[in-house]
Amino acid sequence: MSITNYFQPQSLDEALIFLDEHKDALLVMGGGTVTMPLINEGVSAPEKVMGLKNAGLNYIHQQNGRVVIGATTTLSQVLVEAPLPMLGEAARNTAAWTIRNMATVGGNFFVPPPAGDFATALLALDAELKLVRQGQERFVPVSEFFTGFMANVLQPGELLAEIHVPIPQGQTAFIKFGRKVANTPAVVTVAAHVQFDGALVQAARIAMNAVGPHPVRARKAEEILLGSPLSDEAINTAASTAAEECEPFTDAVASEWYRRKMVKVYVSRVLKNIAGKEG
Amino acid sequence: MTQGKLNAVGQSIKRRDGLGHVTGKTVYVDDVKFRDMLHLKMVRSPVPHARIKGIDFSEAEKVPGFVRALTHEDVPKNTYTILCLIGVGPDEEPVLAEDEVRYKGEQIAAIIAETEEAAMEAVGKVKLDLEELPAVFDVEEALKPGAPILKHWGTNYFVYEGHHCRRVRYGDVEKGFAEADFIVEERYQTSPIEHAPTETTGCVVKPEADGRYTVYTNTQALFFTLDNAALILEVPFNKLHLVGGTVGGGFGGKVDVIVEPITILAAMKTGRPVRYVFMRDEEMRVSSTRGAWRMYYKDGVMKDGRIVARQVTTYADAGAYNRHTPYAVTKHAANAAGPYNIPNVSIDAHCVYTNRQPGSAMRGFAVTPASFALEVQMDKIAETIGMDPWEIRFINAYRNGDMKPHRKVVEDATLIETMQAAAEMVGTELPERLKAMHSNDREGGNHG
Amino acid sequence: MAAKIVTFNLNGREIDVLVKPLTTMQTLLREQLEYFATKSGCRQGGCGSCTILVDGEPMASCLLPVEDVAGKEVTTLEGITPDLGLHPIQEAFFDNYAMQCGYCTPGIIMVSKALLDRNPHPNRREIVEALAGNVCRCTGYEPIIRAVQDAAARMNGQQGGA
Repeated sequence: MSITNYFQPQSLDEALIFLDEHKDALLVMGGGTVTMPLINEGVSAPEKVMGLKNAGLNYIHQQNGRVVIGATTTLSQVLVEAPLPMLGEAARNTAAWTIRNMATVGGNFFVPPPAGDFATALLALDAELKLVRQGQERFVPVSEFFTGFMANVLQPGELLAEIHVPIPQGQTAFIKFGRKVANTPAVVTVAAHVQFDGALVQAARIAMNAVGPHPVRARKAEEILLGSPLSDEAINTAASTAAEECEPFTDAVASEWYRRKMVKVYVSRVLKNIAGKEG
Repeated sequence: MTQGKLNAVGQSIKRRDGLGHVTGKTVYVDDVKFRDMLHLKMVRSPVPHARIKGIDFSEAEKVPGFVRALTHEDVPKNTYTILCLIGVGPDEEPVLAEDEVRYKGEQIAAIIAETEEAAMEAVGKVKLDLEELPAVFDVEEALKPGAPILKHWGTNYFVYEGHHCRRVRYGDVEKGFAEADFIVEERYQTSPIEHAPTETTGCVVKPEADGRYTVYTNTQALFFTLDNAALILEVPFNKLHLVGGTVGGGFGGKVDVIVEPITILAAMKTGRPVRYVFMRDEEMRVSSTRGAWRMYYKDGVMKDGRIVARQVTTYADAGAYNRHTPYAVTKHAANAAGPYNIPNVSIDAHCVYTNRQPGSAMRGFAVTPASFALEVQMDKIAETIGMDPWEIRFINAYRNGDMKPHRKVVEDATLIETMQAAAEMVGTELPERLKAMHSNDREGGNHG
Repeated sequence: MAAKIVTFNLNGREIDVLVKPLTTMQTLLREQLEYFATKSGCRQGGCGSCTILVDGEPMASCLLPVEDVAGKEVTTLEGITPDLGLHPIQEAFFDNYAMQCGYCTPGIIMVSKALLDRNPHPNRREIVEALAGNVCRCTGYEPIIRAVQDAAARMNGQQGGA
């Protein structure tokens, strides 16, 4: 069965109309870097496809202390404009130049693990997702978006239109550990944002990827850091806790055992990096 | 002797195919297209071991563009035995599965259609009636009583002239172990490796007006392919004209004859050009790998570093079918003791069948896994007796005139000289004693 | 099923093509237009052998619907190769033995062209990062990196540099 239609809406409104009209028969595509391989291999055989590249969702601007990024902004655009250091770092560590020119920031929320490194950075930054349907919009924090393996709160008729990222008030750090230096799935990725009140940690966000069904926060580890001076001892305990509380899996990239070990190493490195920046 | 002007010797010669490569003009199999070309996609086993009770093509036949299906009944001689022409048997691999499949991904039926999409869709609609059978995935499990048997002669191992493995016996290892000051034992395991060439395996076959078939193929083994295809199709060898030699990465992964016979058959049956090129996932999951090897080494070593006994027991995981592995294991047995002079050696090298992706050739073929094991073993020996790893190798290195365990005299030995050059390159200062050693000279060696 | 006419610029020439929905640029080039230099290695965007330039940016043609390049400038290796002789990048690859089987070469040359067009003096790290999306199973990459450095030198007016 061949594809009967490839819609290229010229606006978000037009996209929503197509979505409401064709419902489940419509496969929504951002940059195509995850969808097209499945179609090429015959794994996915949609009847109709909608590409969002021309729907006017391709922008980065600042507004009221937030960075606002349109959902089909490419990773290359983020890398070039680098609105925030962590986002530039996350983009640089995702795929390679050729794929970054096509892959979208919104699309990174609909990819199977261990992909999703950019979404992981957004999780650490407490970003919010603007989900839009005809006549309505709502904001969902990234931390509440994922509900399970390849499952999320997006409802039929809704599209992810925008990402709002509060400008971080503390220090951030991002490290992706893969088996190659670039263009590789993560063994583990850690993104963190730590805010200080004087010398003590006031707020901490530790986001991890490839150690669960989707990007996750190491909440127990975060709690341990609160009120601490981000000392080596606190970092060590937090890193060990993060390793215990995550749910890594075994795949062709790495074993569960190894991933869990690397969580401790990389949470530690990310936090030490932040401690170093804070001085 | 007159020395003429030398044009090529001593020069760096540019690649003859280099201009084609940099301009994109080199013609690979996938660049060969014909107006009325058909596409072949394969129905594959979804499970590692099963009896085939039936195949239902009725839904597949309804797909627009479906042309026909081929099963084992269409194949004149349904046997693929790569080295049959040099007497290496027995026959045990079908071109298309008959009543049993033995690895996940095994070829069962070929679907031919007008377009690639139609062929893929039709493959998806073929219904297989399979009775799953117990499967075995580990070489030592496969040799235990009660393991599911994969071969019609009743064992899960290749029979080497009446024996269950390829055997090398030299001297008396038990005597050597009794004399030794140290025993060093270890188990080594390599993983299967996929060649992953950037160009996948494939061919295009065109029927010619004169009754011959032109086969455009990226095989590394044009003559193997010609011979085996002709035998499988029961046609005179001169019916087939193979065009190839341009391989987008082989590394040993394109030496089996997997795609050509069935594609030629499809061209014969339809009268049209047919294309069969692996998708990337087929290349990863189905094409031959470098098979995994499990190796047990037990060495008897003297305080002064001499290895006096080496017992090696290895298991090559051939996967579901022979292909090149029985030959590989013979080669492996000849090399498993290493380039060292050891007076007592015993080697048992098994070729074992499991319900895994068949292994075949890859660079260093059968020796690379052995090298890994025995060189790590040498380091372990050095560590155990407290000797420098260079020294342990210099002492035991074979010299010219030594006898290898499989009864070949060492000629052109250069291990010592190579190690001396390597040490210099990495800036390791060897003791004078080792620098003075020589492959023609027993002095300082372990020969007494 | 509605086929569409898409107009775009291919290697300096404006063309109109008729494509079924979601036909990829790779399929268009290789199956319909007989432009074979752009290769097919994985159809997953993982190997880089299908790389083309769209408005000067490298993209995976196996993942790119033809409809998405409407009105844009597409460059393939055929567009870089002069009718006679070689582009300096091609000369540098040829002279530095930067290929063996040659299958990855078109994709790597396209990325190299895009890199050198925006960064005439890339350092080694920049070359390696630019080429991170291209897989070569034969050369071990060193001759390729040397070739790109040599190409940069040639394009900057130095003879056979690096």
